[in-house]
Amino acid sequence: MNPSYALQAEDVAIHYGGVKALDGVSLTLEPGQIRGLIGPNGAGKSTVIDAITGRRRLTRGTVHLKGQDVSALGATERRQRGLSRSFQRTSVFSQMPVRKQVELASHKMGVADSQADADAVLRELELLDLADITADELGYGEQRRLDLALALVGRPGVLLLDEPMAGLSVKESHDLARHLKALTSRWEVSVLLVEHDMDVVFGISDAVTVFELGRVIASGEPAAVRANPRVREAYLGSAA
Amino acid sequence: MKLLTSLPTRLLAGAVVGTALALSISSGTVLSLLTQATIYAVFALGVGLLLRQNGMVSFGHALYFGSAGYGVGLLLQQQVMPAELALLLTLLGLGLVAFLIGLVIVRVPGVAFGMLTLAIGQVFYLSASRSRGLTGGADGMNIDWPARLFGIELSLLLQPKGLFLLSWAVLLGVMAGLTLLLRTRFGAITEAVRDNEERARFIGIRTLVPRAAIYALSAMVTGLAGLLAALNTGFVSPENLHWSLSGVALMMVVVGGYKALWGPALGAVVYFLAKDVLGDYANHWMAIFGIALITVIVFAPTGLAGALGPLLRPRAPKPARRTAPAAH
Repeated sequence: MNPSYALQAEDVAIHYGGVKALDGVSLTLEPGQIRGLIGPNGAGKSTVIDAITGRRRLTRGTVHLKGQDVSALGATERRQRGLSRSFQRTSVFSQMPVRKQVELASHKMGVADSQADADAVLRELELLDLADITADELGYGEQRRLDLALALVGRPGVLLLDEPMAGLSVKESHDLARHLKALTSRWEVSVLLVEHDMDVVFGISDAVTVFELGRVIASGEPAAVRANPRVREAYLGSAA
Repeated sequence: MKLLTSLPTRLLAGAVVGTALALSISSGTVLSLLTQATIYAVFALGVGLLLRQNGMVSFGHALYFGSAGYGVGLLLQQQVMPAELALLLTLLGLGLVAFLIGLVIVRVPGVAFGMLTLAIGQVFYLSASRSRGLTGGADGMNIDWPARLFGIELSLLLQPKGLFLLSWAVLLGVMAGLTLLLRTRFGAITEAVRDNEERARFIGIRTLVPRAAIYALSAMVTGLAGLLAALNTGFVSPENLHWSLSGVALMMVVVGGYKALWGPALGAVVYFLAKDVLGDYANHWMAIFGIALITVIVFAPTGLAGALGPLLRPRAPKPARRTAPAAH
């Protein structure tokens, strides 16, 4: 496997009996790269995130982080090796103050000064002024940013985001996309972005991969993917 | 810093209240009732801790209440160690057994967990009931306490005032210990696991051990109550292991509320007061208490502590929000 890739998933398959949720998916992330992952509902986008992070057991295939095979490791161990994720539904600790939970996450990542790390991430995501209130008091958009903050502490090498803009207003989506783009370039985080907002995906991604029925049907630079007739037929349609 | 200074203040206030009660009440019966209430407050504290930190309901914590009495009783029968060591070993043994049980059962979510605790508790209840040679069977067993315990004459300790003060001190000690423990990183980890176990795993927390540790800790707190009960009565029987006792403790937790550490203790006091006052007027006082329980669940789901808490806390300004919540 190529150690120059931040993430390399090779021939990944997840089968449920006769149902092939993923079938021979291969994709890579270069350091600092944002790869958009698009496709119709049920195409297997979230499943590929679950497969890479260890939430679901692979039927076949391997996952490598910087050339190291992590396929046999659990979710916690993969996180400790720099593979982080957010969830389709906001996933925060609702009854815990914002700073406390981000600081806890940072501590679990082994950051020496977890307080400073937590504050840096909160400042970056414009949550520092809300640090002392509990997560259930935050607005939805703020909770999505907190979700992202929990995934970002400890400066992970790879970040897998599952529809981070879901439920946000247009302005909130663009704000979050702006934060994301700035962070990936400044902190050299590689991002796999599953998202239905095509403006966001094509606006901030360096590469785009298209899924259909658990398989990759196209992959490449955003402009080339957007122009691909099969992609237009399968997913983008006239919206492109 | 403010919290650190408030804990000693609260402890001091608690000690003053306990001493005042012991000095001002001359009736042995009333003091005995208060002692029972305090012992059950410790019991309920254990059950409430499990609910508060793990979000788990146990129908089988009487297992640890009764086993504490059997454990120390059997060790004292052997006459191979001082009673103080027997107490310590019983408590540590209970913690270890509970931790091992916890490693298996805390993986099971929701109602199934409650049913498992019920089943395990009843296995021990039936075993104790039928092991006549070891435990005295359904008749129970007397506990041979020595003449002195922790350097104090047992006769002095077993006086109503002495036993009440001892139970009260244990209650305060447990509450203070838990308060400090739950402020540590371990407390934050257990809160995170309770709130969102999957997210906890994805921030690098191994979630099984903290859950099992809380289960073991709650068992040890309940075991402490069992030891006090064994000292109070000098006797232990399978009734101390019965699931209905776990149900009573759970009722105390519901009435008192579990979100505040002191809620279950308040629930125990209310339960015993109701039992004593209502018991004078009605044979089926539990039916009346049941109605009160339903009322609390409907109108104050966070229990009495949840309803009283805001009134007792000094009003502090809420942390300021820089922005309004986004509409969604």
